[in-house]
Amino acid sequence: MKRVLIAIFVALLLSPILDAQQSTPAPPPLEPQVPQRPGPWRSSPPAQEVVPVPVPIAPPKPNGPVQRSLVRITATAIQPDYRAPWNAGALERGVGAGFVISGNRILTNAHVVANSRYLTVERDGDPNKYPATVQFIANDCDLALITVPAPDFFKNMLPLKFGGIPTLESTVSAYGYPIGGERMSVTTGIVSRIDFQLYTHSSVDQHLAIQISAQINPGNSGGPVMQDGKVVGVAFQGYSGDVAQGVAYMIPTPVINRFLKDISNGHYDEYPDLAITYAKLQNPAQRRFLGLKDDDHGVLVSSVVAAGPSDGILRQGDVLLTIDGHPIASDANVELEGERAQFEEVVERKFKGDSVKFDILRDKQPMTVTINLYKPWPYSVQGHSYDVRPRYVLYGGLLFQPLSLDMLEAYRTTDLRLRHFFEYFILDQIYLQHPDVIVLSNILPDPINTYLAPYRGGIVDEVNGKKVRTLDELANAFAGAPERLVIRMIGDGPPLVLDRNKVEGARERIKMRYNVSKEQNLDASSELAQANKI
Amino acid sequence: MLRQSLIGFGVVIVAASGTLAKKEPAVEAAAARQKQLALVRVNVTGQSYDYFRPWQKKAPFSKRALGAVLSKGRVLVTADLVTNQNYVELERAESGEKTAANVQVIDYEANLALLEPAEKTFLDGITPLEITPDTVVGDRLAAWQLEPTGALLATEGLVTTVQMTTYPIDVGQFLTYRISIPMQYRENSYTVPLVKNNKLAGLLLRYDSRSQLLDAIPAPVITHFLKEAESKNYRGFPSAGFSFFPTRDPQLREFSGEKGKAGGVYVTNVEPGTPAMKADLQVGDIVTAVANNEIDQNGNYVDPLYGKIEFTNLLTAHAYAGDVVPFHIQRNGKPMQLNVTLEHRDAKDYVSPPYYLDQPPRYYVVGGLIFQELSRQYLKEWGLNWQREAPQRLVYLDHFQSELFPQRNRRVVILSQVLPANGTIGYDDLAYLTVTRVNGKEIKSLDDLAEAVKQPIEGFIKIETEEDPKQIELDATQVAAEAPELQENYGISSLQRLQ
Repeated sequence: MKRVLIAIFVALLLSPILDAQQSTPAPPPLEPQVPQRPGPWRSSPPAQEVVPVPVPIAPPKPNGPVQRSLVRITATAIQPDYRAPWNAGALERGVGAGFVISGNRILTNAHVVANSRYLTVERDGDPNKYPATVQFIANDCDLALITVPAPDFFKNMLPLKFGGIPTLESTVSAYGYPIGGERMSVTTGIVSRIDFQLYTHSSVDQHLAIQISAQINPGNSGGPVMQDGKVVGVAFQGYSGDVAQGVAYMIPTPVINRFLKDISNGHYDEYPDLAITYAKLQNPAQRRFLGLKDDDHGVLVSSVVAAGPSDGILRQGDVLLTIDGHPIASDANVELEGERAQFEEVVERKFKGDSVKFDILRDKQPMTVTINLYKPWPYSVQGHSYDVRPRYVLYGGLLFQPLSLDMLEAYRTTDLRLRHFFEYFILDQIYLQHPDVIVLSNILPDPINTYLAPYRGGIVDEVNGKKVRTLDELANAFAGAPERLVIRMIGDGPPLVLDRNKVEGARERIKMRYNVSKEQNLDASSELAQANKI
Repeated sequence: MLRQSLIGFGVVIVAASGTLAKKEPAVEAAAARQKQLALVRVNVTGQSYDYFRPWQKKAPFSKRALGAVLSKGRVLVTADLVTNQNYVELERAESGEKTAANVQVIDYEANLALLEPAEKTFLDGITPLEITPDTVVGDRLAAWQLEPTGALLATEGLVTTVQMTTYPIDVGQFLTYRISIPMQYRENSYTVPLVKNNKLAGLLLRYDSRSQLLDAIPAPVITHFLKEAESKNYRGFPSAGFSFFPTRDPQLREFSGEKGKAGGVYVTNVEPGTPAMKADLQVGDIVTAVANNEIDQNGNYVDPLYGKIEFTNLLTAHAYAGDVVPFHIQRNGKPMQLNVTLEHRDAKDYVSPPYYLDQPPRYYVVGGLIFQELSRQYLKEWGLNWQREAPQRLVYLDHFQSELFPQRNRRVVILSQVLPANGTIGYDDLAYLTVTRVNGKEIKSLDDLAEAVKQPIEGFIKIETEEDPKQIELDATQVAAEAPELQENYGISSLQRLQ
């Protein structure tokens, strides 16, 4: 898995295609955006030709009675309100598709069921709505498994089987419940491109995706894309019509199979990541400087994220020569099963706890290193979160929240310092000093804070002379506050001074006036984390 | 420091609706018609430097404007009119007679410039404008423009506000008149004089045609500029070098030892090397009076002309570099007096200079890599919305420079662009990186870089950057050998400019 920082607005280019038919309110129309020049750190854009496994071209076979596998999923979801995090949030309803696979399971997109509170599924020729539950959800690759507890539901359903990666130009059909009618819809198109893409559901993960020319629209999400009677992908995202036409993407079977294998131990562990950045080694002088042969191999390690598995093993200036025995070309590609792919594809196929072996050149000396893989936590700040309640502390009408993509988008902030802390959270290792970048995000006006508006948007550095690194530490500082609290923000601003007695006196008043049910939420654990363990 | 927001940009004037036939101030217009108007047309052609191709200038522009004729054969215009000029020409309104002119003094921060005609007799017969410094809120000022015939077009407006605002070069705050006025578009609507009783009261700074609000550089700022211009070495407007915050919040007041309802502002930052630092002003001090004028909790003093207005006016319009201004402060609840000797802070005394005009940008090209020094001028190449559109990391470094580089005795050297060449294969996509070291030597200016490049390590020039890819190497011999071809291919007149 390759991760890159993407400016927030760029991510809006693509959107998951959850239904607009019934969802209230409809998602805002996507604005066409000019793709930004990638940041200077991204010296290696995704490779262009990745893993097209040749499949012998066979005459198209009918896909069979897909109606007997397809289900229509209606999800009622609650979108957390980051501007009033004590509220339950906005209620939304959406429709997506799913299909039955072996083991009485239904595969769909994570974005169809994320944040859901109530799910029902329907099937062709059956008037009943069946309540369903989420078994596993993988927000980093936009896949989820749900099941229907009703004993007879799966009796007449036909589990679908998976195929491989379809060849370019071969015909595929997409099934689902898109906008335009109630019953199942089929559209057909060809495979246009096979490449790494940003998965916009998390908006921080990149995996293999297949672009198809079949029309897919809101409501197609989670539906199977079939070829020769087998599933070759799950329709999941596309460009909105005013950006590009006829560009739709499906999640290919390697990503699906990896997901199904990951959860086979009863828990979804997410994609591990090397958490490094690298540069291609195409400059002859640089190659000679590093003591490399003129053999087109090797990439240069630029940054190693301290919170990642490569910390202490790789370092800046190392040249990666092979990964698990596959030679790495100077443009960062390896050959896998006869096809060229970015070398991270090797890591993509692995799981938490697996290891990966590199032959490297350090100070011109060859070495071999082994990295035990896991998912580094700081990336989650830069992606969307689902099924978690926003964390916050409200004190004296001042709302403190940790910086995250969801929070930034909710406030649409243009503050230069906040944007910097967000975008360079990982690359500048800001997370080491500030695991939570605690922002005074909002103020609920009250006589005790009436002059504090200019502090809004500030980042908390210390309270009463003590550095505050996490929201928990801030909550503790408030809980054990002496008579006067002096909060220092990052930068040249004045201290924010609070009188504890006045704050205590205002608590009930503020709670009443703004209908605040709970003054803090520190629990970061996912509501589904427990469900996954069952 | 609290900043006022700007309304409208530039001085482009869109035709007014035309529904209002304003009655001209009869006396004024009649008097003006009697004699030669104290207005000349000013025609400017200029070229600005191309920061993306720093060895060349951009295509020429031309501007037509008005100048106010002052005593001693001087013509007052705004600085942005004559910035980056190649040639300035004065034109008599009534006869069309022309002469070349020189820029005598220019102050980019106050946006003012003085021109003098090459022919000394050119302005003969024109009675110069006197300056009236006493405009107050409620006064009516006339904007003087010229019809194509040379006749006067006077539009009257009401002074609604007098306040401190930022000028186009965002350095400090200056006194500004805000005038509600329905101006019409004329060809020369650049530097429009504002006149009261046939005396110069101000000069157009910006106009927003939608709200019909005009901001003017007021007479007190003009007078300050003219007085400084008399001296041999123009020093510019002074500053003290600290930022402040209101003390309205009782909790902050109590924390800083303030009691009761007294006024004063909280000092949030004192920049090293500035007059405030030299006078021992400290973070946390409460400034209660400046130049013996008491300051309220919001930072305003009571001006005899304008009433409440921010105290920075006492340091810009009313004081000069070298003046000693008494500051009354409270430190830990105890009153003290500090004497601050004001200085002008030159653009070059910043890590990222706020402006860099009428002088060619510095650069250094090594084998296709173009190195430059970060400045706001460089960032402004991204256009009006540069704060959003320029590389965010560079905007951040510029914006927070006093916080990030408190010692300020350095520049930020950036790898601005890469020109594809044999020596830069694989580096083509690199841009806007900040350079930390070259050949192992720390880089704090282009001069450092130029020196370091001359000392390759085992035949390689090694450049280290703050951002990825962190390191770039060039073959020193190849760089030297391919230099002529690089210059030829990309039309680079010179591979460096360090002056």
